[in-house]
Amino acid sequence: MEYQSAAAAAASTAGPSSKARAAILALSSIVTAIPPSLASSENPALALLHDPDVASQVSSLLRRPGSGSGDDNLCRWLYDTFHSGDPDLQLVVLRHVPTVAGVYLSRASQRKPDAGFECVLLALYAHATTARGGQSVTVTVPDVSHPSVYHETRDSSANSIATDLNLAVVSPSLEPHGTVRSSRRSRIVGVALELYHSRIAQMPVGSKIDFCEFCVAWSGLTGDPYKDDAGDIGGGGDVDRSPISGQGTGSGRIPMPWEFLQPALRILGHCMLRPAPGEEKEKEKERLEEAAVAACRSLYARSVHEIDPKAVLATGSLLRLRKIGLESGPEADHTELPSQNVIVLSSSSGSLSSLGK
Amino acid sequence: MPRSQSTEFSEYGDDSSVREVRANGLCMKTTEVEAKLDEGNIQEAESSLREGLSLNFEEARALLGRLEYQRGNVEGALRVFEGIDLQAAIQRLQPFAAEKQTSRKSRSRTESPHVVSQHAASLVLEAIYLKAKSLQKLGRLSEAANECKSVLDAVERIFHQGIPDVQVDFKLQETVSHAVELLPELWKQAGCYPEAMLSYRRALLSQWNLDNDCCARIQKAFAVFLLYSGVEAGPPSLAVQIDGSYVPKNNLEEAILLLMILMRKFYLGIVQWDPSVMEHLTFALCLCGQTSVLAKQVEEIMPGVYHRIDRWNTLALCYSGAGQNRVALNLLRKSLHKHERPDDLTALLLAAKICSDDSLLAAEGVGYARRAITASKGVEEHLKGVSLRVLGLCLGKQAKVSSSDFERSRLQSEALKSLEAALVLEPNNTDLIFELGVQYAEHRNLDTALRFAKLFIDATGGSVLKGWRLLALVLSAQQRFSEAEVVTDAALDENAKWEQGPLLRLKAKLRICQSLPLDAIETYKYLLALVQAQRKSFGPARSISQAEDDRDNEFEVWHGLATLYSSLSHWKDAEICLAKARESKAYSAEALQTEGIMYEKRGQIHEALSAYINALLLEPAYVPCKILISGLLLKMSPAALPVARGLLADALRIEPTNRLAWYYLGLVHKDDGRMADATDCFQAASMLEESDPVESFSTLV
Repeated sequence: MEYQSAAAAAASTAGPSSKARAAILALSSIVTAIPPSLASSENPALALLHDPDVASQVSSLLRRPGSGSGDDNLCRWLYDTFHSGDPDLQLVVLRHVPTVAGVYLSRASQRKPDAGFECVLLALYAHATTARGGQSVTVTVPDVSHPSVYHETRDSSANSIATDLNLAVVSPSLEPHGTVRSSRRSRIVGVALELYHSRIAQMPVGSKIDFCEFCVAWSGLTGDPYKDDAGDIGGGGDVDRSPISGQGTGSGRIPMPWEFLQPALRILGHCMLRPAPGEEKEKEKERLEEAAVAACRSLYARSVHEIDPKAVLATGSLLRLRKIGLESGPEADHTELPSQNVIVLSSSSGSLSSLGK
Repeated sequence: MPRSQSTEFSEYGDDSSVREVRANGLCMKTTEVEAKLDEGNIQEAESSLREGLSLNFEEARALLGRLEYQRGNVEGALRVFEGIDLQAAIQRLQPFAAEKQTSRKSRSRTESPHVVSQHAASLVLEAIYLKAKSLQKLGRLSEAANECKSVLDAVERIFHQGIPDVQVDFKLQETVSHAVELLPELWKQAGCYPEAMLSYRRALLSQWNLDNDCCARIQKAFAVFLLYSGVEAGPPSLAVQIDGSYVPKNNLEEAILLLMILMRKFYLGIVQWDPSVMEHLTFALCLCGQTSVLAKQVEEIMPGVYHRIDRWNTLALCYSGAGQNRVALNLLRKSLHKHERPDDLTALLLAAKICSDDSLLAAEGVGYARRAITASKGVEEHLKGVSLRVLGLCLGKQAKVSSSDFERSRLQSEALKSLEAALVLEPNNTDLIFELGVQYAEHRNLDTALRFAKLFIDATGGSVLKGWRLLALVLSAQQRFSEAEVVTDAALDENAKWEQGPLLRLKAKLRICQSLPLDAIETYKYLLALVQAQRKSFGPARSISQAEDDRDNEFEVWHGLATLYSSLSHWKDAEICLAKARESKAYSAEALQTEGIMYEKRGQIHEALSAYINALLLEPAYVPCKILISGLLLKMSPAALPVARGLLADALRIEPTNRLAWYYLGLVHKDDGRMADATDCFQAASMLEESDPVESFSTLV
């Protein structure tokens, strides 16, 4: 199904901020309240992206029962907005990828896939396919016995680089899909997540928290047994915990093949270990960190339940990194000058030997 | 600080706790200067320093700034630093560099201008650096980054010829190293990721004479940034690329390279072990699916870093992830030894899972699974369901090689019981639902199998191909061929073109069962076109395993067609198809079987027999040919009956539910005059006839 929209067609000829204003205008007929300051701001698209109020309205509309149908206005808006071609507006759509994917996958596993959500996800998939020319994304795993830009090797015989380098496929080649066949569902959503990950540095924290919360639901497990205190205390402090706390309710559990789990883990890695800009609020940082760790624990529990070695290693390493971080405390600041009681200033006439050590 | 302590300290000579500044052989207590600063009188503080220590204006200012900074008054420090025109000071330093350049030859004799420039530069650069630090502490990050960057720019401008190692002022080097390390951090905190990326590369790709620890810290920080920032860096500029050296072309490659270099530094003892590097590398390599490379890295870690059991278990995960299950199992056998860590649940589960894939290891797996069940208590109780599940799988597999009927049925029912118990604990585990479906189907409890097959398709939203195949096969076993075909068609709709092969094959077979040979041929033709298109569309770039899959697929199609034509007695067509099949796979028991059948049908008994025997030579456990040989022997002479009986017993050991084997065994008993035995066998055969799927259920797993 293809959406046709007059608004999108009209907007395609206009400049970025008028496109954004058109998108805000279109959105205002769907959600209940949009602050008027949005349209008048300097960069309306980015203002829209970072407005928590509008985001939560959109999010609750997406989660409403009956959302995501073929004639859903919000899905149409997401589809049109993504097709506006304005990178900032595309960010606004990507911001909601966690919720769209989350609601869609939970329903699809109950055999109720929604055409509206599928349209949005297919649009993202098609965008990625075109951007990559359908090519796969590969990584050549380096061999440190050969020299690289960052190091030299003494071994002069290692001049030829053509020896056993491992070629790894990070994301397989993409074929165009006009509809979501259920066997390709995980892949299509996975590619949407890859796209989300490629812009994740620009995503508001709230969107990332949404994603982490869906990870817990998708895993169908709570991950409580892998809490930092579990195992160490051994039953002392956790009497009131349900005896099979790892079991969870399982209601949102979905199949998580590697093609879906891998991009999810990349996003999760970012949420846990990203560089946090100084301007971000402490509270938000903490909330994201909590959500990411919970997600990671759940996915670790799920990997152990499925006895999936690759996933156990990947999620386990994230959990251990957090543990290492907690145990070592804040890292010493090596850029700080050593505090000295005696400051020795070598003057211009001094000699090298008199320098303070 | 208590007084007594401070006097005690002062006895230890130079390590004085009295805070003072020294320069030009003179000495001053800092408290005097600080008192003036506290009054807000920078100028007076400055002049007292200039007098007391005979310093010039800039030196005095820099020293004041440092004093303020060190006692935590960053705002004050900033005010002092802003009073110096640092850029002008840098400008003044540059002629020295130019002079140095022109007098290269005489440098060894005239050290002094060079030394002077270093001292002066050191002072100015430290002042700028402290200004950047002060700005950082005040949260003015972009400004801080720009100041810090100007330190590095200045160093490059002043010393653009480089400074010989031996002559580098310690202080200057310290400032430079600090600035190199600080700059990317500042950009990161300011949220300017592209700048951070550039400054990391600048730090690592230019010569700053960093010490090992500092360099390692920057390398790690950059790797972490590349892995998790979500900002794609793009390859380093051409300027730094050296012929023949490896140039990373994306974030993951660059991060993995840096982490591997760090690992190498650990082995060589250049820097201290840092466990987080290994974890980052694990994460990065897992994302690329390269757990075999990871295994190599783990193997290279020096002894004493990880406990040997942890190392074995990690290695087992790596090897199992790379498909080398036997290696993984050998490692797990070590780590699960009673003197090591016999109750490690993850290891037990992995070992049991690996064993469940191989009927010869299944009995060993049962042991691991039972230990896992015992071990899943307390916080680990949530793994009880998984343990029960692998126990069921191992028991089911073990049943396949059991030596007696009694034992087989005991193992099978135990397997089902265990899987059912697991389902109670994990009602939403789709893998478990599928495995139950297969177990029940193999047990010929088709109604229950059907229920699980449907449940699996619902729970996975129809996204998993094997679920559709299970449903179609169960329906075919119930002789509901047209319904099975409807299911296959639905499955074809849900799968992309390249995955339709097995479904089309199934469909062709279903059509044959419905006596629609022409329709079946149509399906085979379509399938053939698909297989060939697939091979061409991916070209030579396909991996070896994929190329093998292609060959297998093509063989299956031609062979299916050959069997079909042979059943229609179209000998010519059958022979052509068989020849085609042999082009994809020269030695195949299936092809020999079809060839034998064709001979047999045309009355060439000896040729047929030799074809069947050849098939058995290729695959000693190939059941259909054992049965066919028995059938021939049965017709040939009564003397061959014991041989036929032996072959059939063997066939039934391998495939206890093989209808034809039971039927021929009945015939053997009848010819030998054992009527009661014959009746039993025929009865078994007739019961099984009504529950034969078009393809064996064991092809599902």
